[in-house]
Amino acid sequence: MRTLRLGPLGITTHRRTLAVGLVLLAALAAVAIFALTSGQSNVTVADALRAAVGIPVGAPADFIVGHVRAPRALTAILVGAMLGLSGAVLQSLTRNPLASPDFIGISAGAGTGAVLTIWLIGATSLWVTAAGAITGALLTAGLILALSWRRGVVPLRLILAGIAMGFVAQAATQYALTRMDVHDAGNALGWLVGAVTGRTWTHVTVAAAMLAVLLPLILWHARSLRTMEMGDDAARALGIPVASARGVLAVAAVVLAAGAVAVTGPIGFIALVSPALALRLTRSAGVTLIPSALMGALLLLTADQVAQLMPSTLQFPVGIFTAAVGAPYLLWLVWRASRGGPS
Amino acid sequence: MRQRALVAIAAAIVLVLAVAASLAIGARAIDLGTVWQALTDLDPADPEQLIVSTSRVSRTVIGALAGAALGVAGALMQSLTRNPFADPGLLGVNAGASLAVVIALSTGIATGFAAQVPLAFVGAGLAAVLVYAIGARGAAAGTPVRLALAGVALTALISSVTYAILLVNDSTLDQYRQWVAGSLTGRRLEDVTALVPLVLVAIAAALVSSRQLEAVALGEDAARALGVRIGTVRVLVIVLVTLLAAAATAAAGPIVFVGLAVPHLARALVGASLPWLLAVSALGGAALVLACDVLGRVIAPPGEVGVGITTAFLGGIVFALMARRMKVVEL
Repeated sequence: MRTLRLGPLGITTHRRTLAVGLVLLAALAAVAIFALTSGQSNVTVADALRAAVGIPVGAPADFIVGHVRAPRALTAILVGAMLGLSGAVLQSLTRNPLASPDFIGISAGAGTGAVLTIWLIGATSLWVTAAGAITGALLTAGLILALSWRRGVVPLRLILAGIAMGFVAQAATQYALTRMDVHDAGNALGWLVGAVTGRTWTHVTVAAAMLAVLLPLILWHARSLRTMEMGDDAARALGIPVASARGVLAVAAVVLAAGAVAVTGPIGFIALVSPALALRLTRSAGVTLIPSALMGALLLLTADQVAQLMPSTLQFPVGIFTAAVGAPYLLWLVWRASRGGPS
Repeated sequence: MRQRALVAIAAAIVLVLAVAASLAIGARAIDLGTVWQALTDLDPADPEQLIVSTSRVSRTVIGALAGAALGVAGALMQSLTRNPFADPGLLGVNAGASLAVVIALSTGIATGFAAQVPLAFVGAGLAAVLVYAIGARGAAAGTPVRLALAGVALTALISSVTYAILLVNDSTLDQYRQWVAGSLTGRRLEDVTALVPLVLVAIAAALVSSRQLEAVALGEDAARALGVRIGTVRVLVIVLVTLLAAAATAAAGPIVFVGLAVPHLARALVGASLPWLLAVSALGGAALVLACDVLGRVIAPPGEVGVGITTAFLGGIVFALMARRMKVVEL
């Protein structure tokens, strides 16, 4: 156990958690360098790094790395981190490993909000779409909470209400899809699977801005989160303002998920899997925020690299690959739970 | 008994009203007299009668067929899994049928409706077996949350494959996006009429075997004591659910929640007696799909809202309210 201090932010952490964090960070850097240097045309590491931060190094690298690979890789890293963090907070708040924004309807609500802004007000700016996604996600979250609230919230009831609202939101999205013209609908469908191709520095800026605001906010409440895992009464006894801390954290998690949806479309399963993997690696007793975020970033960036390495006839959005890995994991979780194991 | 018969008669009357509404209401309202004339003594010169005899009759037949099939499939699944949240749409059975149809559309191995239907059966059957094996078997079997999550996960997996195929194939996408919204207008009546005897036979088989299924729903020991072959009944029910869900999906696209909401409501009215439950679910399912279709025709003029969207919207709310009413231990 040791404490890292950075001004007012103190993070108490286990040695193992710290080591896992550093290993994940190193792996992330390695995959990121691979993402920047390799592809149709190879670029040296030094050139790639310089081009990525905007130092001109010559004709092909400036464009390929500076305008294509760097924004794409950074989008994947930031969105992966947002999803991992959002999943970790939600799973900790509900004390249930199955609660992730993509299954309890939050991502679907964000998708509906974004598609509706594109369809109804013809939004072309990413900031407007993001605002629509956040509005949609917060409304959905509010509805889920209202529907499952019965003298308090039972996590399982929350999950069922979330699944239901996910269907309602999807129906609304599909309605919008059938009313748009086929070109827009094709684009919207590609976006609804979740993709990081063709992302620009604007996407990176939106994702970075949201993470810059919400990461400190969540870390600030990290101690409350960990204490609340012991139960509300224990947390209250330790002087945690349970209701307000939970409200702030829930809104932050929902907004993070919505921001991720706005930037890349709903990429499934990262938010579900990352916290679970981070938990397993750190062997920590409760949720681990930073390792979950790093794990999300690493998973999404790696999935995107796998997607790029596929032959040209099998070029799919990254969301297909995360679902291909994540859905069997969820099925396994459910299967193991119905065998009487820990859920 | 008397109350159940009354409920069944009431459901039949509602269905007749829904059929009348479906024939009369639409972009062009047609009075019932003209509708009757079109059905009994068609005058091809009258455009209103032509609308009824060509488009309205076909979508009414398709809607009633799909609704009855889904209502019965849902009631069967709920009895088999002893789980109020079982629904062929929610549990990925419809998604399996969709995937098979999309594969058929994109590869061209089965052009034409007649060839796609057997594929839809295969897809639905595989999905049904998988979701049942994962979510409804084992020691702590089939709590609502687990079954629902198994269905959601399976649906996510199947639809990611479906999307992958659609994304590399634009012409399939255009056909599919109308079909996936659950539309009663995409199919020709001649194609769908082949499904009518199939659905009727499946519903009849369900009614005939409902006593055995009731025994299984009491629990394995009770069923064995009553001399029921549990394995045979389970296989029969899964086959029937597959046939019904795939027929509905092939006819009208994936429609969710009809199989959830209708049997739930029917159970509240007629109790757990399975033959009555199946009969009322068939009538109610047909009436609900037709009512949702009529609603979709008038709600957003000049366009239409696909029936799958309307049912998902309404059914999602019913599902959430059901989850709200359950006690914590039942979850």
